[in-house]
Amino acid sequence: MNYNDEVEILLVEDNPEDAEITIRALKKVNLANRLVHVEDGQEALDFLFSQGAFSGRVGANQPRLILLDIKMPKVDGIEVLRRVKEDATTKTIPVVIMTSSAEEKDILNTYNLGVNSYVVKPVDFNQFLKAVSELGLYWLLINRSPTGPIPGK
Amino acid sequence: MNAKTSSTAGRFKIYGLSIRQRLTLLICSLLLLTVVTLGWLSYIGVKKASLEVGKERLSTLTAQLSSMFGKSAVLINAATHTTASQPLIKTFLSNRGNADSVMALLDKLRLDSTWTEVDLLDSQGHTLLRSIERGQPVQININDVLGSFATAADTAVVGKIYQSRDSIYYPVIATITDNRKIRGFLVRWRLQTATPDALKQLSQLLGTNAQLYVGNRDGSLWTDLLRARESPPVDLRSGQAFFEYSRPETGNVLAALSPVTGTEWIILIEFSENVILTAPARFLKWLLMVGAVIVLVGFLVAWLVSRKITGPLAKLTHAASSVASGDYGASVPVETNDELAKLAIAFNAMTTEVRNAREGLEQKVRLRTQQLEAANSELEAFSYSVSHDLRAPLRSISSYAGILYEDYATKLDGEAIRLTNKIISNGKKMGQLIDDLLSFSHIVRKEIVRQTVDMDALAKSCVKELLGIQNGSNFKIEYESILPCSGDEALLRQVWFNLIDNAIKYSSKKEEPGIRIGCSTNGDIHTYFVKDNGAGFDMKYADKLFGVFQRLHSDKEFEGSGIGLALTKRIIERHKGRIYAEGNVGEGACFYFSLSK
Repeated sequence: MNYNDEVEILLVEDNPEDAEITIRALKKVNLANRLVHVEDGQEALDFLFSQGAFSGRVGANQPRLILLDIKMPKVDGIEVLRRVKEDATTKTIPVVIMTSSAEEKDILNTYNLGVNSYVVKPVDFNQFLKAVSELGLYWLLINRSPTGPIPGK
Repeated sequence: MNAKTSSTAGRFKIYGLSIRQRLTLLICSLLLLTVVTLGWLSYIGVKKASLEVGKERLSTLTAQLSSMFGKSAVLINAATHTTASQPLIKTFLSNRGNADSVMALLDKLRLDSTWTEVDLLDSQGHTLLRSIERGQPVQININDVLGSFATAADTAVVGKIYQSRDSIYYPVIATITDNRKIRGFLVRWRLQTATPDALKQLSQLLGTNAQLYVGNRDGSLWTDLLRARESPPVDLRSGQAFFEYSRPETGNVLAALSPVTGTEWIILIEFSENVILTAPARFLKWLLMVGAVIVLVGFLVAWLVSRKITGPLAKLTHAASSVASGDYGASVPVETNDELAKLAIAFNAMTTEVRNAREGLEQKVRLRTQQLEAANSELEAFSYSVSHDLRAPLRSISSYAGILYEDYATKLDGEAIRLTNKIISNGKKMGQLIDDLLSFSHIVRKEIVRQTVDMDALAKSCVKELLGIQNGSNFKIEYESILPCSGDEALLRQVWFNLIDNAIKYSSKKEEPGIRIGCSTNGDIHTYFVKDNGAGFDMKYADKLFGVFQRLHSDKEFEGSGIGLALTKRIIERHKGRIYAEGNVGEGACFYFSLSK
């Protein structure tokens, strides 16, 4: 996939298995066609701000949804979230935290930083599939955000 | 300090008194005892001495008077004897000669008015001649007079006193002897009168409140020199010189007896003991006054001394009370060098020791708290990593088994599909266990935010939510009044949720499942209950109900992790409440939990 193409979902997930299952779930509802998967926070920032490995990317093509894990090597999800919400070019992108942690302090921190949604990844496969597909459908098809096309079109 | 008098026992309890009062009482009692004992002994001594002195004086007086009387008697006897020895009288007795000259002699002998009569008797006692001033002669049988004493030749004696009409008379009898034979008697009668002057002299001699009695030796008649008197209560035959008896008019009297020589008389002098004891009585009065002053002064001194002693005790008590109420800085001033000072020093040492021990303890508590906090944060980190690190691989297991099932179902045989499903269901169960465990440790650590909680609304909302999940339209739910209480709303919601969830779960297999929810109140304590008619439990396992991972039913019967009731109990305990359950197998269970208003 060409990074300059229109990107719908940026998946930031260091665990390849979780990533695989997430992508599988999105595929089922046909939302994984324009998905970019990066494996840590630094890569995510590089992608979003067209730097490092992504320096050639056209900045205007921002994803319509960021699925963000919290616990990651190098730069964690909290830091990524902060940077996204600080930057005028990225702050309107909906960010959904997808994490194993149901810690109160994480929920509080991310909401304070302006997260749009916080989802605890279910352990059960079917519930996980359901959760991922529902949130994908919601954010990409039902919800309307400033950057994306009008839902339903 | 309270001095109690027990009304039931009706007697004064010395143990109810303070030490200060008891000490004072003791000192005063000892002082009083000493004063009274010494005073009484002194009084007895003085009284005895006074009586001795009185007796001595009485004895001397009696002897003096007796001798005085005796001397007079000797003179009178001699005069009478001289007349009786006159030859004229002897001659008259032998030949009844010149009566006139003898009469003249007799008249001469009756010199003054106190001598009322002079008789000349023959040896048989017949009156031969009688000289009398005027009036009646003394009407006393002369033979009685003569027979009352041993008549001896050539003697004269003062006879007994006799009463004739209102007057007292006494005779002086002289024998008239011729050739050693008694030829006759010369008897002079004298009226016993005392002139006021003589009495005054006598009373001056005797002193006040002394009474002189003169009596016959045989006790036949007594006189006070003016008239006849009743016999004093003395036993003349006892030979005693001293007597002590009571007179109605003067009280106790001391009496001394003495015979008068040359007469048939005895004299008795009575001293009133009251007079003798005036000095001792005065001494006693003085003693009592001094004693009272000593006791009074003693009381004051005792009070001051006991205050001096109990003052430090009061300070000590005050300091001990301070220590008891938590002020370990309290100390007692050491002012003296006595036992109390030693006690104060020991007390101060003790408080210092207690203070140090307490500080040490506080230090330890701080240290332990730090350690505990460290352990707690470690636990927090652990539970974080559990939630994160355990759930991820579990999700992978569950997910890949799911993918296997989805993608290869057509290629797998029945057993392979069964095994895949086992992996999926166990993964799900483990996920639930991890979640329950996390929420358990989460609640254990969560700070309780107290506020008034509408328990009625909480219970009803839980029922609504749970019946929605369970699709329990056939459940019959009854509510009694559910009072509000103080607690953490989110946690108490969890309590209701768990208990109602259990009630629904365990009664769901009944044909007519029923749940009753309510509360009873006792003072500040509300006891809430959730009662169902479900599977119930055996009361002998009641203590296992609330343990972590403890279950009384298999998963096959009823699903569950064994965390719910443990969590509920933990929440109630953190509210300082109590939870317990009653049940019967097959009949249902009732869970109670009590919280304060």
